[in-house]
Amino acid sequence: MRMMFLSAGNGNRGAALGALAPAGVAATVIYVLFIGLPILALLVRAGQEEGFLAGLTGPLVLQALRLTVVTSVISLVIVVVVGTPFALLLARQGSTSRLLRVIDTFVELPIVLPPIVAGVAMLMAFGRNGLLGPALASVGVAIPFTTVAVIFAQIFVAAPFYIRAARIGFTGVDPAYEEVSQTLGVSPWQTFWRLTLPMARPSLLTGATLAWARAVSEFGATIMFAGNLTGRTQTMPLAIMTTMESSLGAALALAILMLAISALSLALLSFLLRRRAKASP
Amino acid sequence: MNDAAVKGQFSVSVGGFAVKLAFSVEAGRVLVLFGPSGAGKTTALRTIAGLARPESGRIVIAGRTVFADNDGEPPCWEPPHRRGVGYVTQQNHLFPHLTVAENIAYGLPDRRSDSAHRRVSHLIDRLHLASLEDRRVSQLSGGQQQRTALARALAPSPDLLLLDEPFSSLDMELRRALGVELRSAIRELNVPVIMVTHSREEALALGDTVQILEAGRVVAEGPPLHVLEQPGQGQVARLVGVENLLRMRVAARLPQDGTMVCQAGERALETPLADGCAVGDAVTVGIRASDIILAAGPLPQSSARNTWAGVVSAVELRPPGYEVALDCAGTILRCHITGASLDAMGITAGQPLWAIFKASSCFLLSE
Repeated sequence: MRMMFLSAGNGNRGAALGALAPAGVAATVIYVLFIGLPILALLVRAGQEEGFLAGLTGPLVLQALRLTVVTSVISLVIVVVVGTPFALLLARQGSTSRLLRVIDTFVELPIVLPPIVAGVAMLMAFGRNGLLGPALASVGVAIPFTTVAVIFAQIFVAAPFYIRAARIGFTGVDPAYEEVSQTLGVSPWQTFWRLTLPMARPSLLTGATLAWARAVSEFGATIMFAGNLTGRTQTMPLAIMTTMESSLGAALALAILMLAISALSLALLSFLLRRRAKASP
Repeated sequence: MNDAAVKGQFSVSVGGFAVKLAFSVEAGRVLVLFGPSGAGKTTALRTIAGLARPESGRIVIAGRTVFADNDGEPPCWEPPHRRGVGYVTQQNHLFPHLTVAENIAYGLPDRRSDSAHRRVSHLIDRLHLASLEDRRVSQLSGGQQQRTALARALAPSPDLLLLDEPFSSLDMELRRALGVELRSAIRELNVPVIMVTHSREEALALGDTVQILEAGRVVAEGPPLHVLEQPGQGQVARLVGVENLLRMRVAARLPQDGTMVCQAGERALETPLADGCAVGDAVTVGIRASDIILAAGPLPQSSARNTWAGVVSAVELRPPGYEVALDCAGTILRCHITGASLDAMGITAGQPLWAIFKASSCFLLSE
């Protein structure tokens, strides 16, 4: 999605609506202040707060950080491994199969669904008294309020971001390229690795970054389905809420860490996309 | 070994549209599939490449049966990547994320080996792509893209080369140059080629045999000069664009000259004598516009048997020259001349001119 903004018209066509320029400037200033001020405030307060440095290295923060990184990376791997073939199928057959068209419509539901509702729904499915609860219990498996539940919640809310971007990316690869590749003696499987995947790479990277960022920031579904257990299910967003009540320093430390993670992932994505753009002008 | 390098016959149906084809091509030879758009030419190529599956028939490439589905024998199907068929599509479909050299090397089994490097540089030299190896395909001109696509298809040494409108995106000048290169590359590599085109010039320049397709059926087959220049059937004549088709009646047979006289109204002309044509029979006479000479007056001494007087009714640009429509007492004759002749004779509408053509340039068409 970011790609579209990057590639949208480079020509200088600003003159047509020149009379609106002052309104544009004013809106830009207002918006930049609106977003920038809270972030600036966060940084300033963190510098003033005495407990900040202690919080940054405190056990609570480090535990939350480790748990968040581990769960979000596992979630992302699962989303990519399952989401990639799914997105490819949607891109290639989505317009001919009625069932796929219906599925396609529902893929994006978790994006608009309130996360807390997702959490309730997952409890109803996997909870002790949920649809699958008794069956899972009979084989000794309990999912709610475990680290696995954190991963479930993250996948539920984050997967659509990757699947949507990947489907757009694969739709952009004309199957005629894949046909030519096969006439050159390259098997369908190899064609996917050597042609389809690299050609869809910018979309896949964008989707993966968005999905990962969404998993890292996941809160509502997690607290409902996985609870808020330190070291086991208390990811950084949950830890921020908890520490806000006791130690502002620790909460600010967590907030700054998450801000840094978000900024870094955006910078990394933009670097990867630019490297690619430079390679194929 | 007088067996054809590639042969087959099949019927395939795509989206309710059926195509039937029987073909055979020897190594180093070019079969041209000629026809209007929608005739099924591309479908035929895709079927041979394995990208569309026929209902029945058999396709044999270099002695290997890659497809067979006939009554009373086990069916056989080789997927595209095991057919050894190079396929250059109309839009080339060069891979945009790879360089020219990477595109050419794409189909080689071990791309990092010395032999692969040698193969790629040989093709780069052969197709005049030197100094472009590291370019992205989007930085290439139309002709360079075309040559890269050809090199990529040839790199894995295919047993058959399929070309779909290979010059469609190029200007006239480039078409000629590439056509000559292609001809010599095909001879050198000794690969059989099936080429699709709707350009008569390309078919004449490159084809050893032409099959004319219409609505999924082959309606004529033979040497290009014969099939495209003096086709025997009215249907084919219209498909290949014979400019002058005159409905006439046989007025006299002159066996001593080997000709006969045909007449329409006041106009008469001599054609080669045809067996099975009696005086009074209705015939259609075809004359190619390029076989007619225009003159400011009747040539007093000429071997051409036919001279018609007329008035120029229209002059149209028709690259590489011009087409002059000459109104000969109600019958319009279309004649092709070069720009230089048009200038030298100062031809404009309303000018009286003479059209001169040989009896042997007139051919009879059966409907």
